[in-house]
Amino acid sequence: MRLGEIQRLFHDAVRSADDDSGAIHEASLAIVGSASLPAREHLLIYRRAVLGTLTRALTEIYPVCRRLTGAEFFDAMSRDYARRTASRSPDLGAYGECFADFIAGFEAARVLPYLADVARLEWCWHRAFHAADRAPFDPAGLAAVEDERQSRIRLALHPSASLLASGYPVHRIWEVNQPEHEVVSSVSLDEGGVRLVVWRQQYDMRIDLLDEREWWLLDAVRSGATLGALSDSPDLPTLLPRCITRGWIAAWKSIDD
Amino acid sequence: MTRFTRKSIEGAGIGLRTCHYREILGSRPPVAWFEAVADNYLGDGGMPLLHLEQVREHYPMTLHGVGMSLGSTDPLDQAYLRRLGRLIGRIEPAWVSEHLAWISVGGSYLHELLPLPYTQEALEHVAGRISEAQDALGLPLLIENPSSYLVFRGEQMSEPEFLRELVRRTGCGILLDVNNAYVSAMNHGWDPSAYINDLPATAIREIHLAGYEAHENYLFDTHGHRVHPPVWDLYAHAIEVLGPVPTLIEWDTDIPPLETLRDEAGKAQQHLERRRRRAA
Repeated sequence: MRLGEIQRLFHDAVRSADDDSGAIHEASLAIVGSASLPAREHLLIYRRAVLGTLTRALTEIYPVCRRLTGAEFFDAMSRDYARRTASRSPDLGAYGECFADFIAGFEAARVLPYLADVARLEWCWHRAFHAADRAPFDPAGLAAVEDERQSRIRLALHPSASLLASGYPVHRIWEVNQPEHEVVSSVSLDEGGVRLVVWRQQYDMRIDLLDEREWWLLDAVRSGATLGALSDSPDLPTLLPRCITRGWIAAWKSIDD
Repeated sequence: MTRFTRKSIEGAGIGLRTCHYREILGSRPPVAWFEAVADNYLGDGGMPLLHLEQVREHYPMTLHGVGMSLGSTDPLDQAYLRRLGRLIGRIEPAWVSEHLAWISVGGSYLHELLPLPYTQEALEHVAGRISEAQDALGLPLLIENPSSYLVFRGEQMSEPEFLRELVRRTGCGILLDVNNAYVSAMNHGWDPSAYINDLPATAIREIHLAGYEAHENYLFDTHGHRVHPPVWDLYAHAIEVLGPVPTLIEWDTDIPPLETLRDEAGKAQQHLERRRRRAA
């Protein structure tokens, strides 16, 4: 058997949905068994290890979700996700991006309707933690661009920034479930929805609340709007400098460049 | 000109772990060197890289990778090699190591060090991949022997023979994980001392020590325990044969206080010093 064929067979066996699958039986034929450990058992050692590594990665990225559901529920849910979702990157930290969508469709998690959004917040946090440390915005450089070229400027969010809107006060749920949060407190879901930007200022992780106009601008910037497209908005002369000063908008370039 | 200490890698070092940064940077304990898992620092920025550079300012360092998937039949991931190359430029490690294993096929990553069938075909394939990675990174790699839990039908050579041929064909070095050698030997009924005697001695630049977990019918490599007595014995044999090769205490799961790791490193250091005195 060729090496590539062995690897595909082995892969399908360790990724198979249960430990008695056809793929495991087929791959067992390529393996030397022993009296104490039949060939199939050798494969199952690897299958457990692979599933364990993928679920541990989710545990590390989503500690608040795990605290909200309890460890047993979370571990069962993450095993289910890991069985269905392959990792597509050598970076294990890139695994789990679609976990929030999975939770949203996970029947047994319906009793915690905010859980998927908490997972989204934790993913944004994880992403920001490892993002680039871009040099701060250079407003003088932007001001120096001639007026007629300004409309063709495209702004960019800070490289660590993600925007998150939720119908629940997820930032508060996140906050009271941090290990260093000492007092037992409750969050009322009646506090209502929030718009957030999750990012990193130098080495400080931040979750900032956005008002309706700030959200509008950051969302437009994220979608690649040019200054020209934004200029119809009468509050832009105050709104834009505010978002730049806060550090949320951190770069720009001319689309002519 | 390097920004970093020029001290060379000697004696017993410790695997660098996030939970120990504060203590290491705060009190700068005497540790011969640190080894960082490269894959934890391939992001674009942030605290992990900042801390790594701060530790590097005071200690010699090596990098140890788990994501290259050298044994895979997929193409080498060029973006991964570029990121690793960027990290090497930033940290200036004494050397970089990877595993004799594959972790992915068909673009699906399993993130476990999976075994290769030791055949002529696999040898040619892996030798080509090591050469390609070494060319891309501009340095020789150390290749580590894996812990394994199975043997394929139709294998044509032993693991030491396979490693010897890789060294001959690619000029790579060897990282001998004594715990892995012991775990594999017990799982497959090999003689662990003979395994070490068969390795290409002069290519071995680093040794790893760690703990395993005993299951009913096999040993499982967790890197989550103190080094077990039979592994210390095998280590004593290894440095008898190989000389006082730089040795690293690895601990990846249920990580204890730095004190425990320093204690383990202290034991390895005593072994190395006894070996050095005998050589003198």
